[in-house]
Amino acid sequence: MSISRRTLGLYGGIAIASLVAPFVFDTYISQLTVLWVMVLFAITWDAMGGQMGYNSLGNIFFFGAGMYISAVVQIGLHYDVAQYTAAYGAIKVDFTQAQYHVGLVLGTIVAALGSVVLAVVLSWVVFGLRGPYFAIGTLGIALAAGELVGAWEYVGAGSGISLPVFPGEPEVGERFFYFAFFIAAVLSFFFFRWLYGTRFGLAINAIRDDEEKAEAMGIRTMRYKTITWALSAFFLGICGSLFGNYNIFIEPLEVAFATVVFGIPMVVMALLGGKGTLWGPVIGAILYHVIKEATWKYFLGWQWVALGLLIVVTVVFFQQGIMGWAQDKWPELFGIEVEEDSAEGDREAA
Amino acid sequence: MKYINKFAGMALGMAALSVAAAAPASAKVEGDTIVLGSAISLTGKYSTNGVHAQNGYELAVKRINEMGGVKVGGKSYKLKVVYYDDESTPARGAQLAERLIKQDGVKYMLGPYSSGMTKAIAPVSEKYRIPMVEAEGASRSLFTQGYKYLFAVLSTSEQYLASSIGLAAEIAEKNGKKPSEVKVALAFENDPFSQDVRAGVLDDAKKYNMKIVIDDKLPRDLSDMSTTLTKVRAVKPDLLVVSGHSKGAATAARQLKDMQIDVPMVAITHCEAADIIGKYGAESTEGILCPTQWAETLSYEDNYFGTAAEFDALFKKTYPTYNTVPYQAAQASAAVLVWKDAFERANTFDPDKVRDAIAATDMQTFYGGIKFAAEGNNIAKPMVLRQIQDGGYNVVAPSKWASSEVRWPRKPPMN
Repeated sequence: MSISRRTLGLYGGIAIASLVAPFVFDTYISQLTVLWVMVLFAITWDAMGGQMGYNSLGNIFFFGAGMYISAVVQIGLHYDVAQYTAAYGAIKVDFTQAQYHVGLVLGTIVAALGSVVLAVVLSWVVFGLRGPYFAIGTLGIALAAGELVGAWEYVGAGSGISLPVFPGEPEVGERFFYFAFFIAAVLSFFFFRWLYGTRFGLAINAIRDDEEKAEAMGIRTMRYKTITWALSAFFLGICGSLFGNYNIFIEPLEVAFATVVFGIPMVVMALLGGKGTLWGPVIGAILYHVIKEATWKYFLGWQWVALGLLIVVTVVFFQQGIMGWAQDKWPELFGIEVEEDSAEGDREAA
Repeated sequence: MKYINKFAGMALGMAALSVAAAAPASAKVEGDTIVLGSAISLTGKYSTNGVHAQNGYELAVKRINEMGGVKVGGKSYKLKVVYYDDESTPARGAQLAERLIKQDGVKYMLGPYSSGMTKAIAPVSEKYRIPMVEAEGASRSLFTQGYKYLFAVLSTSEQYLASSIGLAAEIAEKNGKKPSEVKVALAFENDPFSQDVRAGVLDDAKKYNMKIVIDDKLPRDLSDMSTTLTKVRAVKPDLLVVSGHSKGAATAARQLKDMQIDVPMVAITHCEAADIIGKYGAESTEGILCPTQWAETLSYEDNYFGTAAEFDALFKKTYPTYNTVPYQAAQASAAVLVWKDAFERANTFDPDKVRDAIAATDMQTFYGGIKFAAEGNNIAKPMVLRQIQDGGYNVVAPSKWASSEVRWPRKPPMN
């Protein structure tokens, strides 16, 4: 995939907009920050659901696991975790600048690696399942993890953990997390963009299209599936670690392993934008987030109806998502009907 | 590729535009209106109580505005509250608090519903030095963090069931048993508030050396506790304690009735908020002990609502769907009164000066006395324990406020 001047221009434009946005739209920085969280969610889900055809409803598990792993590392470096998380009479903590940043970086690294390990271990269990069974199986993992962590006193059980607050001015903290999520999202985008252009990308597409045939052709499907899940988990682990620190208060059922708040929207965003496309999840995440934020402000009381309607409309009219629909509607825009350019078109469709 | 890029660029541009088109940050005081902000649970598992709290806020705002508003610098200001729905999830609470502060320019906050939500929002208001008067977060862990801008009008959660445990010990002694022979069964929701209540109960039970025979967590959706009740039937505890906000209370009352569980003493938090008498009838809820932050029969009084009973009447008149006024609504109204009082004493809109005025609050309200400890919790008001007796809530403890004798053992109807 050669990078044309126009492509460079577009990426440059997005990059400049993203770098400038937190300063220009300073008051909207929290929404912009969460926007990148949503983009990360959609991109990592799409690697599984869109490119490999394994519709996971449990990807939120890695988000929560990353969040808790990082929290334990960050606190454990300086305090006794059980004492820190005791349900009441919690100890007053004070993290210095250095303690905070070292903890955050170290915690995030361990969270990312820990999530990869968990993904590899769990792949032995879940990849025996196909189709809806896989979806339900992964959902079960996310739900069970929430319950287990919720019963684990060491990490505060259902009372959750109040993580250290960013030291320094609040504005600096906000920008710090904005750029942290931005960088994570951009890295994951370019990583997966590169990956889909390699033989690996073709192999997981083959698994999506017909797993038996792929296997018959000598593709070691299990290995590919495990690696894809682990890559997804890697970025989600980072995302979870950062989000825990951004949100400050974390708890198992509603923040870390939040199936309804984050787990299901991952799928909705990818479907909305067009699963199995490079830009689809990104566009889906942006649209979903903007619509959600707007309805929460202007249609208070009807926000869930509006969101439900959006999902229904997507499923009924845009089954291929916005990117897929646009490809059907204006194939020439995507270079699909142009015979001499079909090679490029195929790649785009992938 | 380039067309896709163009398309993506367009979408990005549109998204940026629609974000930019949203309303810009407004001021903390708009004309003659002081804007308070609150993220509250209008949907999700806390929505019943979120709405109770919102109704409480609205009633007090209405009342204060009718009575001439808030006088600052010789001028009268009306109060207004901006709300967001936090979906009962702490994952949204912090973002919405940021939004209230940064986009809506809110400088004065009212609390959300529940300890968990307050734990999520307090670091944000603290970070921006925005004072928050909250009425619905009782967990002790909120008051050990050294927060300077957090003030709570309610009593902390370890006080909810302390008197039930004391009562169980008293009754045991009266019946010639040792308090240490009392068997206690616990069923608590797995959220910060209920778990803190549980920690308080465990402490109290330990004082008497009572035996904890069941210590269960209510399931996530709080809609079924039959496994716990089956165990209760088998081990026959002397005291059953349940806490899971309104949903937990409703489930407990329903299944105690359906499964015909016969325990001599049952204590449930949030009875009034769940309206268990209205839902399951006076007979089947007879004898249930309900800790409450406030009761309409108490002899508290202020200049805004009159007596506790008068507040009760006004609330029912304004919101005719209520049979009983839940204390969640009353304390929400009290939080708004704290704001009015503090603004007038501070006589300025400077958040830090208003914050100091709140810290110096010492007032009597229909809800009880309000005076904040250095940690921000209210130390001027006790919890009371009520028992459902013949379809009404009667105060049975502490003895200073008691209007009735406690009925023991509880005798629900058995078919």
